[in-house]
Amino acid sequence: MPISTFMGLHTSLRGLLAEQRALDVTSHNVANANTAGYSRQEAQLQATDALALPTGDRLGTGVDVVAYKRIRDSFLDLQYRAQNMQVGAGTTRADGLDQAELRLSEPGDNGLAARLNSFWGKWADLANAPDSGAAKQALISDAKTLVSSVNALDQGLQTVSTQAGDELTSITATGGQLQQIGKELAGLNGAIRDTQRVGGDPNDLLDRRDVLLDQLSSLAQVSVADDGAGSINVTIGGAGAPLVSGSALTWPPPAMSASPGGKIGALMDLSSPTGTIASFRADLANVAQTLTTQVNAIYNPAAGTDFFAYDPLTATMSLNPAVTAASVVAGSGAAGDNSAALALSELRGATGGADDLYSRFVTRIGTEVADARRTTQNASALSESISDRRQSTAGVSLDEEMTNLIRFQRGYQAAARAMSTTDTMLDTLINRTGRVGL
Amino acid sequence: MISRGIITDLNDVATRVAQTQRKLSTGKELTRPSDDPFAVGKALGLRSDVEGLVQYQRNISDAEAWTSASDTALGSLTDIVQRGRELLVRGANSTSGAADRGMIADEIDQLIEAAKQEANTTQGGRSVFAGTATNARPYAAGSDTYAGDGGDILRSIGPGVTVAVNVRASDVLGSGGTDGKMLNVLRDISAHLRGGTAADQAALSGSDVVAIDRSFDTLLGARAQVGAVANRLSAAGDRLAELEESSRALLSNTEDADMSKTLIDYSMQQSVYQSALKAGAGIVQSSLLDFLR
Repeated sequence: MPISTFMGLHTSLRGLLAEQRALDVTSHNVANANTAGYSRQEAQLQATDALALPTGDRLGTGVDVVAYKRIRDSFLDLQYRAQNMQVGAGTTRADGLDQAELRLSEPGDNGLAARLNSFWGKWADLANAPDSGAAKQALISDAKTLVSSVNALDQGLQTVSTQAGDELTSITATGGQLQQIGKELAGLNGAIRDTQRVGGDPNDLLDRRDVLLDQLSSLAQVSVADDGAGSINVTIGGAGAPLVSGSALTWPPPAMSASPGGKIGALMDLSSPTGTIASFRADLANVAQTLTTQVNAIYNPAAGTDFFAYDPLTATMSLNPAVTAASVVAGSGAAGDNSAALALSELRGATGGADDLYSRFVTRIGTEVADARRTTQNASALSESISDRRQSTAGVSLDEEMTNLIRFQRGYQAAARAMSTTDTMLDTLINRTGRVGL
Repeated sequence: MISRGIITDLNDVATRVAQTQRKLSTGKELTRPSDDPFAVGKALGLRSDVEGLVQYQRNISDAEAWTSASDTALGSLTDIVQRGRELLVRGANSTSGAADRGMIADEIDQLIEAAKQEANTTQGGRSVFAGTATNARPYAAGSDTYAGDGGDILRSIGPGVTVAVNVRASDVLGSGGTDGKMLNVLRDISAHLRGGTAADQAALSGSDVVAIDRSFDTLLGARAQVGAVANRLSAAGDRLAELEESSRALLSNTEDADMSKTLIDYSMQQSVYQSALKAGAGIVQSSLLDFLR
């Protein structure tokens, strides 16, 4: 079968159209150069089926765009999400512990250590002047300040824990961040599946879905299962059932495991009654209890009443209301007896005493905060290096796009030139052949 | 990608500059426990130590006031007893008549009252010689009975170290009656002087002399004890002052920022920050776009 005269035109036309599409993709890339989560796209050009000639040869028929490929390394995505989970957890934990540390006001003149020092000093002053009303008044005032400092510190720690709990509730509650992301994922799943079913390339929807998965990964551990039809099933926090399967969102969400990782895991640990902040409060309770017991052990035999009282249920320390500036004594006998006051002032810095336990408590908090900060820094550095690698694959390099522009522009010009050459030839054939003598 | 790197690095440098600036303005190397947890624990212990040392020095100066008052009173008592002994020798002399002895006895009675008054010395409103019954006078007017108690006034001058700083009037002057101490001896002498019998005369030159010498020794012993305590307090005070200085130096090494090092760090970090800003501004600008028509 002979080849059509106009085949050349069609071949050039295909070239023109293909180059134009490629140019469109390049301008789409350029327009989205700064869009977060955008993966650059590429028009995949492929030669169209060749025409079979009677002689057995095949003649090429031009080019076509077979697909708009999205350049993305999904393995890097997995790595990034795992690291992002660590960063989310680390940042949240470091923030919470930071707040707890700030309440300590140590080392400084307003912390509990300074209060304790002052308290022992007042007992020593009373030992020097056992019948002095001024010394007694100073002691009682100081004891009240000490007690309120202890209670205020415990309250402060409790507030940090409660705030963490509130933040956790606001994320996981109806209308919170988790539900919003889940809803959008479910919607995207549906749209992507529909587009792929009719053979389209929903590249921008896929990008949006990846951005959502990144956000989700900082909240908790994310596992993604592709169902092969364009949808993904997303499970978070190691739960038994997926949060999003296809275009359906499971709400309320399936219960997560005990350590879901990410921000949710960190908030759970901060607010839990067996978590880090709770253990700090337990340590502080130990300090207060030891102080109460040791002071009472010396004061009670001398004065007949307890000096401090500690209530473990409400975790509050208090000064016995029966002990006032008028009724406090330095010893058990005569006006000059200062045995109890002497013994109490010797409690300063005693091993196993309140000072010692408190200093260990402060060191412990400092270590935990420094640890959390270090872990977060490491995770951030790793996450950034993975993000860089992602960008180097999927990111838009303006230099490259400019070069592509030139390429496709020249391609378009060349195809147009080929078309006008064919056109000139046809013009010669059609208009100028067989006009002998005209 | 380059811009993200630049932003992250600029933030890091800015954070470091802010931290150094905080060290400069507070003068402290450690502002939070997480800066160096172990050092902060050590610093807390050192602060407690320093406060303890300051308190012990306060205790010592209070105790020194006590021993000083004791010493002054005991000095006066020594003079009184010496006068008493002179009077005894004069009274024991067989040439003095009854009238003379009567006058000597009167003077001895006055000496007894003077001695009791010295024993009633107070310091800061508290009786110095009454043991721990500091709100009571050792000797009430018109009575020789010791009204204080047998307690020690203890002062703490070091960790676990207490010192008794008082002398009890009951040990030196006694409680009247027949306990053989100073008041008893002087009363006896006065009685013997007024008595005028041969037995009294014999007592005046014999047993009374022995007795007054013995109670004089007791008095001197008490004075020596007070002196020894005062020396001990003074030595302890000096040692504590040195300890306080070295503890403060240790605390400063742990807690305070090395100003010259911190200033150098600060200026270096600032120049790093400036260069990062300049480099960032330069890098991000040029691209292929500048070179294509």
